[in-house]
Amino acid sequence: MSRYYALIGMLFAAMSASAGMAEHAQRSQVAGIDLVTYTTGAKNVVVIVGALPAGDAFAGAGNASIPTLTGMMLDRGTRAMDQFAIAQQLENVGAEISFGVGNQSLEIRAKCLTKDLPLVIGIIASELRMPALSAQEFAKAKQQFMGMLESSLQSTEARSQEGFARAVFPPGHPNRPHTLEEFLAAAKAATLDEVKAFHAKNYGPAHLTLVLAGDVSNAHVAEEVGKAFAGWSGGHDYLAAAPELKPGVPEVKVPLEDKTSVSVIIGQATGLRYKDPDALALRVGTAALGRGFTGRLMSTVRDKEGLTYGIGAEVTEDSLTGGAWELSASFAPKLLERGIESSRREVLTWWKDGITERELSQRKQGMVGGYFVGLSTTGGVANTILNAIQRGYDLQWLDAYPKAVEALSLSEVNAAIKTHLNPATMVLVEAGSIPASAQPAAK
Amino acid sequence: MLLNGRILQLPHTLCVALSLLVAGTGAACAQSAATPAGAASRAAPAVTVAGVDFVKSFGGIDEYRLASNGLAILLAPDHSAPVITFQVTYRVGSRNEVTGTTGATHILEHMMFKGSEGYNDAKGNSVKQYLEHIGGQYNANTSVDRTTYFATIGRDNLDGYIAIEADRMRRLLLRESDRQAEMTVVRNEYERGKNDPDELLSEAVNAAAFVALPYHHPTIGWLSDIEHVPIEKLRAFYDTFYWPNNATVTVVGDLDAAATLAMIRKYYGGYAHSPSAIPEIYTEEPAQRGGRRVVVKRPGDLGAVLIAHKVPNGRDADQPALEMLDAILSSGKSARLYRALVDQGLALNAGSGTELHRDLSLHTLFAQLAPGATHEIVEKALLAELNKIKTEGVSVAEIDRVRQQYIAADAYRRDGTAAVASELNEWIAVGDWTLYSSFPEQVERVTPADVQRVARKYFDEDQSTTGWFIPVATQAEHGS
Repeated sequence: MSRYYALIGMLFAAMSASAGMAEHAQRSQVAGIDLVTYTTGAKNVVVIVGALPAGDAFAGAGNASIPTLTGMMLDRGTRAMDQFAIAQQLENVGAEISFGVGNQSLEIRAKCLTKDLPLVIGIIASELRMPALSAQEFAKAKQQFMGMLESSLQSTEARSQEGFARAVFPPGHPNRPHTLEEFLAAAKAATLDEVKAFHAKNYGPAHLTLVLAGDVSNAHVAEEVGKAFAGWSGGHDYLAAAPELKPGVPEVKVPLEDKTSVSVIIGQATGLRYKDPDALALRVGTAALGRGFTGRLMSTVRDKEGLTYGIGAEVTEDSLTGGAWELSASFAPKLLERGIESSRREVLTWWKDGITERELSQRKQGMVGGYFVGLSTTGGVANTILNAIQRGYDLQWLDAYPKAVEALSLSEVNAAIKTHLNPATMVLVEAGSIPASAQPAAK
Repeated sequence: MLLNGRILQLPHTLCVALSLLVAGTGAACAQSAATPAGAASRAAPAVTVAGVDFVKSFGGIDEYRLASNGLAILLAPDHSAPVITFQVTYRVGSRNEVTGTTGATHILEHMMFKGSEGYNDAKGNSVKQYLEHIGGQYNANTSVDRTTYFATIGRDNLDGYIAIEADRMRRLLLRESDRQAEMTVVRNEYERGKNDPDELLSEAVNAAAFVALPYHHPTIGWLSDIEHVPIEKLRAFYDTFYWPNNATVTVVGDLDAAATLAMIRKYYGGYAHSPSAIPEIYTEEPAQRGGRRVVVKRPGDLGAVLIAHKVPNGRDADQPALEMLDAILSSGKSARLYRALVDQGLALNAGSGTELHRDLSLHTLFAQLAPGATHEIVEKALLAELNKIKTEGVSVAEIDRVRQQYIAADAYRRDGTAAVASELNEWIAVGDWTLYSSFPEQVERVTPADVQRVARKYFDEDQSTTGWFIPVATQAEHGS
């Protein structure tokens, strides 16, 4: 038995449970909602995470800002209570609820004391089902959203991410964002009627997942969720289909004045979903290149060459549809060319020669060990369960993941790198004060 | 798009790597919570281990000291999961730097990952290699008052990590070749920070608010010092401050107290007490004679206002009332600043907090301007809320609301060993770890009169430093 299986055994023992996570979790359909509860060793605390298919991608050909503005309206009062009355109820018991909007999901996060669970579930249900959507609050949300967008316009990280995603994901792909300028124009033009229509069309229990972890009893949770969400209908699935990937532009430059550090991304779309064959092998191989201090990128480009504070590589945005592979780093303008050259050199060597048996062994240990350390908090457990469900797994995956990592062979990992990536066609994105020497030659 | 707006954080805590979020002291305090009744007990050591002296128990945490060298040890058992967070806090920060060595504490923090005599990359057993192979979550960070190294690991890996951590306390390699490579790494960290207008503004306000105290300069240091500090000065810094009697080891999680103390004694016990006393800071901040103002301009789209007042050190008896005042101003949608600024369309976000220091602390009110709002109006609105507390006080209902939040936060903070260790770390830095338990209790006892009293006592316009971040048009917007 490896030290990690011993660790997971201890973890479950500490949680007073039986053989594995899957057996320890309770999953059921309640009021049309995919509900999971998981009892941890935490006392008196419950963490709630959830997701609903109502993210930016569902704007379709309509106003791009509406999914986010709808999400922003959820905690601005319900038809029964104004936002301050709700805030007071939550704050009086130290409970917290927040919403976020991603590419495809409306994300739900909450935590409370166990005794306050009925109150919190009730408020989440009211905010999702019956937001007030008042004209006055809508005007405030628009102004706030536009301010956040304007602030992001000067962020090298935000601009490089936007440039990368638009370069590698074609129009119509759920992972392709609008530009910040497009979001700004859309937010200015947005109407409350569009928000109401979006809410009516996209919010409902179908494909809503709620995960509650901590000091909870499944029967109690199911009863409260059943009461709070009874009679609600609607909703739809996530967008799985994506248009065919095509080679994009080789370089994207986002000049920003008076920035002392340039954000750089080198990468490509992979077309792989997390659950696809090869995807886990690509993840493990990528970890050897770009994860932690001992990954090749940090140990060479940072530690040996001193070119950057931070550099790494990862597979992203692949839970619901085909994702991307990206190397991200920051360089001072005067070290930009050297930094990019070193980054490309490391990627090319890694791609051509693959990783070593020793690297594979170490990465497997590190990833499995980190998985279990991540499960030592209630929030970590809740997030792991939600991620597994969004990636299309059943709960058995929670126990199968470490074994799947351990089972990977060197040839599988190196073949995945070779098959799904091509350094020659990767896009290079730079955002910041790019020196003239790094600018593309005039055509 | 993410919904949460930016929260302005003072840039006094720096990490060696990107991946870990570190709460500044103020943020940590804002989340700190009610505590179990923890009357100090000196009489009953939890365990007895030869060479380890029991000091006291407080709030479920046991303090010990290595008899041979004075290393302080805090044990906080939590058996809810088989993991442990091990943390070493050195009581040295950017407050211990002078002109020419600003940023040295932070550079040294980076150099601590370059290998020690017993554990380094060449041997294949460096701290990075060990922790990443076992899946540990680890990092280090530097603030004005302390430097901290920590990891959360499976409990069976504790012995291996303590061995490495102890080795680098006194047997660091500190090679010039490593300094040269790491200097550019730190310089890029500096450059990344300077991309952020909020950081520029808070750096300018700090520099104006503190004239004599070393809190004047940013923890990351001035660029010229980062680039030129010689290895000899880093070595002198290391040999002055990295001693067991200037450090606290904190262990939180699924620990066996006797075995853990034995491990700590085994690896740290061979070191001597520092040959000289750890230098004390004797500089005092001169009295401020009138309000100060600073302006920072650079390309951007949104302005910001930051109003700072110096307040007492983090151990001072007035801090719980200031904490209550900040929660009333800033905590949640019911808070006064949300209602007065965010809900009124003047600011995208607004808040207040105190960055607790070992010496004078700094209280700040801040707001990021909403599009169309002016600096004058936002500054006036921030001050108006402060003045209302000075003239009208706060209500019992507001105090009760915050108290309930503290009670809930107490339960939240027990979920996870890293969070407990991190918060203890900040109290160690200000000079009294028992405040981890007693501070929340003190906050819960705060009365409306206390809040009004501290508002009147500290928030005098003549004692303020006000900073504006003013975005200027880019060249492209000028049409050039």
